[in-house]
Amino acid sequence: MEILQGFVDAVVGIVKSSGIFTLQWENYVMIGVSIVLLYLAIKKQYEPLLLLPIAFGMLLVNLYPAIMAAPSTELLTAEQCAAQNVAIEGHASMIIDGVTYYENPTYGGLLYYLYQGVKLGIYPPLIFLGIGCMTDFGPLIANPKSLILGAAAQIGIFLTFTGAVFLGFTEAEAGAIGIIGGADGPTAIYVTTKLAPHLLGSIAIAAYSYMALVPIIQPPIMKALTTKKERSVVMEQLRPVSKLEKIMFPVIVVILIAIFLPDAAPLVGMLMLGNLFKESGVVDRIAKAAQNELMNIITIFLGTTVGATASGQNFLTWATIKIIVLGLIAFCLGTAFGVLFGKIMYKLTGGKVNPLIGSAGVSAVPMAARVSQKVGQQENPGNFLLMHAMGPNVAGVIGSAVAAGVLLNVVG
Amino acid sequence: MNFANITPILADTMTLAEKSISSAKVILTGFVVVFVVLFLLIFIINIYGFIIQKATQSGKKKKEKISEPEKKAPVVTKAANVPAAPAPSVQDGISDEVVAVISAAVASVSDSSSKTRIKSIKKSDGSRSAWANAGILDNTRPF
Repeated sequence: MEILQGFVDAVVGIVKSSGIFTLQWENYVMIGVSIVLLYLAIKKQYEPLLLLPIAFGMLLVNLYPAIMAAPSTELLTAEQCAAQNVAIEGHASMIIDGVTYYENPTYGGLLYYLYQGVKLGIYPPLIFLGIGCMTDFGPLIANPKSLILGAAAQIGIFLTFTGAVFLGFTEAEAGAIGIIGGADGPTAIYVTTKLAPHLLGSIAIAAYSYMALVPIIQPPIMKALTTKKERSVVMEQLRPVSKLEKIMFPVIVVILIAIFLPDAAPLVGMLMLGNLFKESGVVDRIAKAAQNELMNIITIFLGTTVGATASGQNFLTWATIKIIVLGLIAFCLGTAFGVLFGKIMYKLTGGKVNPLIGSAGVSAVPMAARVSQKVGQQENPGNFLLMHAMGPNVAGVIGSAVAAGVLLNVVG
Repeated sequence: MNFANITPILADTMTLAEKSISSAKVILTGFVVVFVVLFLLIFIINIYGFIIQKATQSGKKKKEKISEPEKKAPVVTKAANVPAAPAPSVQDGISDEVVAVISAAVASVSDSSSKTRIKSIKKSDGSRSAWANAGILDNTRPF
C-alpha cells in the first residue's frame, strides 16, 4: 500500500512540475512561432545558420523557462533546510529578528550561462573577427568612394531613431531599434545589449528576419528610385589592389576609427584583426580557426541564447510589434538612401556609377551585393555589378559599426 | 524565474519638445560623425593607394625595361619536331603549379606522336570570353 501511495505521489509530483501545469498561454504561442521559424529555416533556408539555433532556443525557453533563469540565493531557516535536505554546514548565515537564516544558492539555467557572452558583449565582436577573416576589402580599396554609399545607408538608423522616440520608446531603446537598419546582426546585438537588453529578443529576431528577406525587400525600392538607363550602367573594371595595400588597410582603419570613436573600437578592432589575419598571410592557421571553428561555435551560442531571450512573457508585447514595423522602416530607409546617394554619384561622375550598388551599403554581406548584381542583370544580362557592389557592402559593415559607436556614445 | 532584469519598460515620459530635440541631436550627430569618419577613410585610402601604386609602378617599369617587349600571342603555341625543348617564357605572377597544370593539359590533349612545345604562358588581357561570362553568370545567380 505504501509503495502504491509513493508511486502515486511521485507521478502527481512529476505531472505538477511538468509544462502542462506551469506554462502560460504566451509560452504556447511562442512554441508555435518557434516551430514556424524552424520551418522557415529548414524548408525555406532563410539564414538557416542563425535562424535554426534562434528558433530552437526560443522553443527551449518556452518549454522550460528555468533554462534561462539567473542564479539566486534564497534564505532558509534551519527547519526549512532540514525539510529540503539542504546541508547547513558551509553556508553563510545571518540573523534577522532573532531567527537564523542560511543562504542557499540556486544555480542558473544552462542558457543563462551561455547568454553571458551576449550580455557582456563578447560574442558579437568575436563574430566580427570571423567576418574580418572572410572579408576582402579589395573592392573598397580600389574604389574608396563606395564608403560614401556605406555611410548613406546608415541614415535610416538615425531616422528610425526619431520614429521610435515618438512612438514612446526611451532614447536608449530607440537607438537599439534604429540599429536594425544597419542590417548587421552582430552590431544590432552588441548595441542592444548595451542600450536596451530587455528588447534583445525582438530586435535580434527582427534584424535577422530582415537580413534574410533582403532579396524580397530591396529590389522594389531599388527599381522605384532608379530609371532604366541608370540601372543598365556598366561600370569600369576595378583596378587590381596590391597585397601591401590590403595589409595596410586594417591597420589604418583601426587606428583612425578607434581614435575618433572609441565606442566602435571593439567591433571594428575585431573586424580588422580578422582581416589582418587573412591578408598578412603569415597566420593562416589562426585565420582558418577564426573564420571556421570559432565563428561556428560562437554562432551556436549566440543564436541559441538570443532565441532564448524571446520567452512568451517577454516577446508577446506591443513593443515587439512596434519594433518589427520600425525595423522594416529602418531597413527600407537604409536601402533608399543608399540608392539615392548612388544616384548622386551617378550624376557627379557623368553616368559612370550604377546607382544600384548603393543599396548594398546596408551591411548584410554578401546578400545585399548579390541583390544589386541580380537587379542590374535584369536590365543587362552582361552587366556584372557584384564586385562593384562589394565595395559599398563591406563599407556598410564599417559604417554600421561607426553608427553603433555614435549611438552608444550619444544615448548610451 | 527571474526575468526582472529583462522586463519591457515603455517609459513615455519625454515631452514632445524633448523628443524633437533628442531626435534632432541624434540625427545630426549620427549623420555628421558617420560621414566625417568615412570621408577621412576615403581620403587616407586614396593617399596611401596612390603612394603604393606609384611605388609599384616605378618598380614595374624597371623590370619591363629589362625583359623584352612581349606580343599578344596566343597562350600556347604549338611547334612540331623541336628536338630540345627550352623552358617556356612565363610571365611574372604565374606560379609554377599553373605552368605545370597548363603543360599537363596540353600534353593530354595533343597527339602523343608529335612533339609539342609550349613557347610562352601569359595572362590574358582581362576581357572575358563568352565561356567565362557564362561561368560567372552561373555563379552569381543563386536565387
